[in-house]
Amino acid sequence: MSREVSERAARVAPASRGSAPDAPIPNLVEQRIRFEPDGSVTAFSGKIEFGQGIRTAFAQIVAEELRLDPERVRMVMGDTAQVPFDRGTFGSRSIAQDGDALRKAAAYAREQLLRRASEKLGVARERLTIADGAVRDGGVRDGSRGLTYAALAADPPLAGEVPDDVPLTPASEHRVLGRPRARVEARDIVTGRATYVADVRLDGMLHGKRLQPPVRGARLRSLDDAAARAMPGVRVVRDGDFAGVVAERAAQAQAALDALEADWTSPNGDDQQTVVIPMREDDGVDAALASAAHVVEASYVLPYISNAPIGPSAAVADVRADEATIYAGTQRPFGLRTEIASALGLAEERVRVVPRMPSGTYGRNSVGDASFEAAMLSRLAKRPVLVQWTREEEFTYAPARPAAVLDAKVGVGADGSLVAWRYDEHTNAHGYGFAVDPRVAPFTSGRNAIPPYRFGKGRITLYIEPTPVRTASFRSLAAAENVFAIESLLDELAFAARTDPLTFRLRHIDDPRLRRVVEAVAERATLGERSSAGLGKGLACTIYHGTYCAQVAEVVIAANGTPRLTRFWCAVDPGLVVNPDGVRNQIEGGIQQSASWTLLEELGQRDGRITTTGWDTYPIATFRDAPEEIDVHVMGDEAKPSTGVGEPGTVPVAAAIANAIFAACGARVRELPIGAERVRRARPNG
Amino acid sequence: MKYRLRVNGGTRDVDVPRGTQLLEVLRDDLGLTGARYGCGRGQCGACFVLADSGRGPRAVASCLMAVDQAATVEITTVEGLAHDSELHPVQEAFAAGDAMQCGYCTSGMVISAVALLASSPKPSDAEIRDALAPNLCRCGVYTRAIRAVKRAAG
Repeated sequence: MSREVSERAARVAPASRGSAPDAPIPNLVEQRIRFEPDGSVTAFSGKIEFGQGIRTAFAQIVAEELRLDPERVRMVMGDTAQVPFDRGTFGSRSIAQDGDALRKAAAYAREQLLRRASEKLGVARERLTIADGAVRDGGVRDGSRGLTYAALAADPPLAGEVPDDVPLTPASEHRVLGRPRARVEARDIVTGRATYVADVRLDGMLHGKRLQPPVRGARLRSLDDAAARAMPGVRVVRDGDFAGVVAERAAQAQAALDALEADWTSPNGDDQQTVVIPMREDDGVDAALASAAHVVEASYVLPYISNAPIGPSAAVADVRADEATIYAGTQRPFGLRTEIASALGLAEERVRVVPRMPSGTYGRNSVGDASFEAAMLSRLAKRPVLVQWTREEEFTYAPARPAAVLDAKVGVGADGSLVAWRYDEHTNAHGYGFAVDPRVAPFTSGRNAIPPYRFGKGRITLYIEPTPVRTASFRSLAAAENVFAIESLLDELAFAARTDPLTFRLRHIDDPRLRRVVEAVAERATLGERSSAGLGKGLACTIYHGTYCAQVAEVVIAANGTPRLTRFWCAVDPGLVVNPDGVRNQIEGGIQQSASWTLLEELGQRDGRITTTGWDTYPIATFRDAPEEIDVHVMGDEAKPSTGVGEPGTVPVAAAIANAIFAACGARVRELPIGAERVRRARPNG
Repeated sequence: MKYRLRVNGGTRDVDVPRGTQLLEVLRDDLGLTGARYGCGRGQCGACFVLADSGRGPRAVASCLMAVDQAATVEITTVEGLAHDSELHPVQEAFAAGDAMQCGYCTSGMVISAVALLASSPKPSDAEIRDALAPNLCRCGVYTRAIRAVKRAAG
């Protein structure tokens, strides 16, 4: 009996806050597309741009369906006063979901404009042409009978639900989709004009700092604020366990914060228990293992790591008696609005969340710490307040990626088939602030725990264990952890079965799209060719939320065991490609960041208290560590829906590197990060 | 305390406490938010500006430079690199090569690259890596940024 959890089952899952999480959101054309008098179009999305390039991609999508130059499309994103409801920007779902909704809305608007023009002009639909902001009678040579989009859309205002079967522009006619396009924000970024959250300046704005509790849930027993109050330009504010300072200048606020003497009581230890979630439970797994020709049993270990954004958390809040505006770096503007409204005792409609570019935060902005603090401080101080966390606060108080221990026992039959697959995933919650929901967890903490290979009997179990460390969302959630284990394991199985890693994988892959990217990357990287001593290449692959991604890492091992990533290849199939250079940039960046997790990163902690304070104690990859080349081969499939690329590139990297290290020197390292010492200890001759 | 600063080709007068970080002065007193706060310890490069004491521009961490010292040098921030609508070749190359994602670290990278090209017009890959190593990028655009600097060098 097989008991695999289905996507449908997980969707039932609304243990969190707010309205039913996965109720369908209506796609109304009037909430999506606005035709401006100057011929341009404004389009609206609840998604957030934080470096993934979706503002550019969305503009391309709308421009294609409305026959416009992308320059003529302006995207409004995430402002809760302007955009339709959205659950959040995560899971590499923006292009797949909101890109699709925008595309259909734009196509529907185009069809309506054509229908209206046909009626007004008394000309058959087939004779009309639509381009560059006007509908024209194609039979009239001078084009004088053109009607503008804005005029056609105005009376009566274009409105209504977008039908799902609206005709989309076929790939053969695409003029914008699939063409590389530079980022809309590029010029503002290189000139320093781009406005990030911490750049928002309001009249009368103060700088604020919250007095952070030493651990979550600690109670403020007493506060000695005499020294802080004596400082010029400083006010101390407090509401129960929430205390902080506001000041005219940032340095004054920091000095006043440092002068506060607080006495905290420790929270009662909570009695959280391990949640055990079977993800697949076949009968006869142990018997199948007993019958296997080769069995590989191994444990893979990953430490806590930090999202480590270059810009620490920031927010600006302007809270008045009966309304509030929050300038935030957030992935969930509507979720944040609910939380802020609740904290301030305001109706949701009285709170406006206006997202501003944050620094890239890779999942960290699912939790709105700085926004909450700025809102509380602004309410207490009755002035707009900017909160800017320090680097040390960001390491100390931000949530971390959960740790993981992945225990696997897999058997290969005499015929080379994978006869049994046992896999225990031990990790922590990949979300913050609500109880673990067993219906959702397989898709968060258990993401990509089920391998994309054909196997016989399986038992795959997820154990979500309590931890004193604050853990939350991190780029790709558990996928990068699971795929490190699974793809390392595939190489270990191939070695046990005396087969090369490529042939071994292909033997167990049924999905033709996965096979295509694996074969392509192996060819581009000339995998399997003999290489020089101390140099090795390693293969790994994944299917992540519908995107197919295969990678080869090349490493060189120094005499002292230090691994250096020298080159990297990736073949990716994200379905219909919107912006090929945008895809390449995301995948390259994902590889570079994930290589840093793999080779360098570990968050220091003792009993849940983070001991890492700065970049000196949390080194990440620098320019000197960058590989000479990252070759990204975008092999889209225009017949397939577009899927995301923000996360998939990060997912196979750790295993590709670990497999390359094994190929280079015979060291099988199963614990991250992989530094010189771990390589030396695992190397056959030290 | 009153200070007269030379910033982006002009002079600016500020009245701030002695010892105030240049970064705070730029962002909160002069409205120049292109230099960004990243760590306050000179470990990440997000706040870099050019400082010229007469021997050519150097990339410095404005979070570690007090206003008192800043008043003795010529400061150029990322906002001061373009002339009218014409971007500096380094800015042009970063934009054209899409050598950015979130862009938070881009100001600092551009500053380091401009300083490098001022002293070494045709840098090797290794020189570029060394010169930009103080600039951390979490999104991972290093290989693109190296290409952009080479492109700017012509």
